[in-house]
Amino acid sequence: MTMLALEVSGLSVSYRQGLGWRQVVEDVSFSVRRGEVLGLVGESGCGKSTVALQLLGFRHGGLRTDAGKIMLNGIDVLTLDRVGLDRLRGAKVSFVPQNPTTALSPGMRIGVQVDEILVAHDLPTGDRARELFGLVGLPDDAAFLNRYPHQLSGGQQQRVCIAMALACEPSFVVLDEPTTGLDVTTQEQIVDLLVDLRARLDMSMLYVTHDLGLLSQIADRIGVMYAGHMVELAPTAPLFSEPRHPYTRGLIAALPRLDEDRRTIKPLRGLLQRDALPKGCPFAPRCDLALTRCFDEAQILRHAGHGHEAACWRLAEMPPAAAPAVEDLPAEPDHSAAPSLLTVASLMVRYGRGVRAFTALGSVSLTIRKGETFALVGESGSGKSTLARAIAGMVAPTAGHIRLTETELSPLVKARSPSQRRLIQYIFQNPDASLNPRATIGRSLSRQLDFFFPDRPDSAMEQITAALAEVRLDAAYASRYPDQLSGGERQRVAIARALIAQPELLLCDEVLSALDVSVQASILELLQRLKSELGIAMLFISHDLAVVRMLADRVCVLFRGEVMEIGSREQVFSPPYHPYTHSLLEAVPVPLKKRKPARQRTVTSVDVGTGCVYAGRCVAEIPGICGTMPPPWRETQDGLAIRCHHTLEDLLERESGLSRRGLEKP
Amino acid sequence: MSEANIELIAPPQMRRNWLMLWRQMPLSFRIGSLILVVHLLVAVTGPFWAPYGYSQMGAGPPLSGMSLAHPFGVDQLGRDVFSRVVRGSWIVISLSLAGTLLGTLIGAIVGLLSGYVGGWIDEIVQRVLEALISIPFLVLALIAIAAAGPEYSGNPALLVLVVALVYAPRIARMARTAAIDITTRDYVTVARLRGEKAWSVMCWELLPNATGVLLVEFALRAGYAPVLIGSLGFLGFGLRPPTPEWGLMISENRALLIVCPSTVLGPGLALASLVVGLNLFTEGLARVLGRTVKLGTQ
Repeated sequence: MTMLALEVSGLSVSYRQGLGWRQVVEDVSFSVRRGEVLGLVGESGCGKSTVALQLLGFRHGGLRTDAGKIMLNGIDVLTLDRVGLDRLRGAKVSFVPQNPTTALSPGMRIGVQVDEILVAHDLPTGDRARELFGLVGLPDDAAFLNRYPHQLSGGQQQRVCIAMALACEPSFVVLDEPTTGLDVTTQEQIVDLLVDLRARLDMSMLYVTHDLGLLSQIADRIGVMYAGHMVELAPTAPLFSEPRHPYTRGLIAALPRLDEDRRTIKPLRGLLQRDALPKGCPFAPRCDLALTRCFDEAQILRHAGHGHEAACWRLAEMPPAAAPAVEDLPAEPDHSAAPSLLTVASLMVRYGRGVRAFTALGSVSLTIRKGETFALVGESGSGKSTLARAIAGMVAPTAGHIRLTETELSPLVKARSPSQRRLIQYIFQNPDASLNPRATIGRSLSRQLDFFFPDRPDSAMEQITAALAEVRLDAAYASRYPDQLSGGERQRVAIARALIAQPELLLCDEVLSALDVSVQASILELLQRLKSELGIAMLFISHDLAVVRMLADRVCVLFRGEVMEIGSREQVFSPPYHPYTHSLLEAVPVPLKKRKPARQRTVTSVDVGTGCVYAGRCVAEIPGICGTMPPPWRETQDGLAIRCHHTLEDLLERESGLSRRGLEKP
Repeated sequence: MSEANIELIAPPQMRRNWLMLWRQMPLSFRIGSLILVVHLLVAVTGPFWAPYGYSQMGAGPPLSGMSLAHPFGVDQLGRDVFSRVVRGSWIVISLSLAGTLLGTLIGAIVGLLSGYVGGWIDEIVQRVLEALISIPFLVLALIAIAAAGPEYSGNPALLVLVVALVYAPRIARMARTAAIDITTRDYVTVARLRGEKAWSVMCWELLPNATGVLLVEFALRAGYAPVLIGSLGFLGFGLRPPTPEWGLMISENRALLIVCPSTVLGPGLALASLVVGLNLFTEGLARVLGRTVKLGTQ
C-alpha cells in the first residue's frame, strides 16, 4: 500500500450541458506505483484528459465530481481547498500540457517563468533554473535563459515545460499529450528525455495520449478508456500481445503499422454515439461479440491474469487474440508505365522579399503518373503543403513550372481554365473548417456541380446521391448540416465534394491527421478503395510514415524544401536510405519494438549555405564536404533517387553496420 | 436544434418548450424584448386608440400640465402630447429601422468584399471608411443634409439615407473583420479554387457565416438610430412640424421646460425607453448568438 504513488477509486465526473449534466467519466479506478509510468489511451472524448486534470484537483463551474477518491501520496486531492491545492500543484504533482506554445507566457523570459514556480512554493531560485535546463537537455547559459518562448523551437518549448514541471521535484507528473503537436523526430527526442528522467529521478507518471504505439515505448502499464469507462488495464507487453477487451483489439487492429507490409487495416465498426449509450457496456453497440446481457448490465474490471484486467462479460470465453490474419494483398496495378499526369519542374517558392525572404521550396521536380498515389513526407516546415498549394494555384511559384498532361498551368488558380480547376481537387486536413457550417451537405456538393458541369443532363440530386454513396454515406446526409456530422463523416463529405468534380488528381493534405485512430482507419480504407476503383491519382501529404507505407505507390521525402529521396514505396522503405529518411523511420514508435536512443543530432543550424540542407542534423555528415557542396543525385536503374554525398553502396553499408528495426522486407 | 424540431411536431409540449426556452434566455434579452414588444404594439395600434389627432388643436387648455385626460400634458398650441407621442411612435421606429437596415446592407457588402478581396483595394476602402468614421456622426449627418439641398430637407427618405450613411462605415469595419476571419477557413478556399467570383463567395460563403456578427451590429446601431434622428429633429434638420417626431417635439417644447416639463418629459421618456429596450435586447441577443455559435462549432 505504501508503494502506491496514486490511487484513484470510483471516480465519476460530469460536465454541464444545457440545463443538465452529462457524465463523462464513470467509475474509473486505477493506481500507479511509485516510479511507474501508467499510460492512458483512448480516442477523443473518452475522458482521458478529464481524469488527468482531476489528479491536479481541477475544478470549474461547468464540471462536477460526482463520486470517487483520489489519494496522491496520502493526500486526498478532491477534498483539498484552494490553499491546499495551491500547495499541491507544482510541488507534489505537476502537469505538462499538450501545446507548449500556448502554455508558456509569450512576454516573459523562459528563465523567469521557471523561477516563478519556485517562488510560488517558497523555494530559493538561485541557479535552479540553470540546473533544470541542464537536466532536460537545454543549453544552460544565461543567454538562453533570457530568451523569450518564440525564440525557441517547439521541442525546446516542450523541454521548458518539462523543466517547469520538474522544478519542485514533484513525486508525480501528469503529461497530457505532450508530443502530439511535435514532429516525429522531435517526439522521439522528448520521449527519450522522459525515459531518461524517469530512470534518474524515480518519478511516477501518468501519460495521456491517443497514440498507442508511442505508449508502448514509455509506459509500464496501459489503461484503455472508452466513453468514460476504463475498459482494460494491463502491463504494456500483454496488452499488445494479448488484448482482452474487444475495443482494445479493434484499436490495435486499426493501427497502421510501420513494421508490417500491410495494405489494408480493419477499422472498428460504427461510431461512438454518446447520446445512445446502453446501460451496460458502452462499447456493446459496436462490439461483434456483444450479447444482450452486455447492453443491460454494467461490467467492472475483472482480473484476467498477470495484472491484466478487462471489463467484459465474455472475458472467459474469449480466445487469446490470434495474430491478424495475413490477408492477400490486392494486386496492385502497375503505374510505372502510365503516362505522366502532373509534372513539376524546378519549382521554387519564396515568401517575403529581400533579406527577410524565406525559401519554402527550393527547386523541386517530380512527376505524378496517372492513377498513382504519390506521397510527400517530411516534418513540418519541409514544404509539403506549399508544394500542394502551388499545384492547386493558391500560391504563385517564384520559379519553375507545373504541367498537367502536357499543358502548362497558370501560376494562380484565377487564370486557369474551368476544366483545369476541375481536374485538380484539394482535400484539407481539418474537416471542421472545410465545410460551410451554414450550408447543407447537398448544397456544398451541388455548388461544385453548378460550377464544373453547368449544362449537365441529369439532375443534381442523382449525382449527389451517387457521390455520397461513393464515400459510404446515404442520401439522407444531403439535407444535414455539418455540425450534425462527426469528424469522420465530415471528412467523407469533403472527399465526396472533391470526387463529384470528377478530378484526375486529388491533393490530400494531411487528411487523416485530425482524426481518431478508428476513424482514420475507415477513411484510409475508403481512400484505398477509391484508388483501386476509380484510378484517381493522389498527392498524399502526410507526416505519418505508417499510413504512407499502406497507401503510397511512390514516396518523396522532403526536407526544408529540398527533395532528399524519391522512389517507389518498396525502395524508400528499404535500404539504402537517405540519412534523413532513416532518422524519420527510426523515430516512428513501433509497438513493442525496443526503443533505441535517438541517434539524431539536436543541433539545428539554420544557415546551410550552399551545401546539403540536412548537413547540420545529419549523423553521417562528412566534415568539410556536406556543409559546403550541394549533394549529387544518386540514382538506381529502377527509379530510386537519393540526394547525398555518400554513394548508395556507402549508405547500404552504413545500414548493415547499424542494428536494424526490421523494416526490410523479408 | 433537433430537440426543438421534435417539440414542434408535438403540440401539447410546445407551450412548455417555449416557456423553457424563454427561461433560458439572459435576463437582459427578456426585459429588452418586453420593452420592444410594448413599443411595437403602440406603434402599430396607436393610431386606432390615441385619444386625439397629432395636429388636433384645442384638445385641452394649453400648458395645462399632467392630468388623467392628458397624461403628458398639453402643449402651447393646445395639442395633446400623449397622443402625439403615441402617433409619432411608428415614425421614429420605422425611420430608425429602415435607416439601420440600409446601413447594415451597404456596410456588410462593402466590408465583406473588402475583407475577402484584400490587397490594395482593401487598403483604399479602409482609408475611406476611416475618414468617414473620423467625422463626428452628427457633423457628418449635417454635412449630408446640407449637401442634399433645401428642397429635400424634411424628407423622410433623406433621413433614412443619412442614418445609413452614418452607420454603414462602422458596420463595414465589423463586417471586414468577420470576413478576414472567415476567409481563412478551408471552405472559402474550396470556393476560390473552384473559381467563384468574389461576389458569389460573399453571398454563399461569407454572408451566411457572418450573420451572427451582423445581426448584433444591426441591433446595436438600431438602438442609437432614434437618438440620431431625434438629435437631427432637435436641431431642426429632421422632419418638418407638425410631424410628431419625438426629437422635434422635445425641440419645440424646450422653451417650456420650466413652465410645463411634462411636454418634454413625455417624448423624452418614450425615446429613452425605446433606446434602453433596444440596447438590452441587443446585449441579450449577442449572448444568445454567442452561445449558439459556440454550440454549433462543437
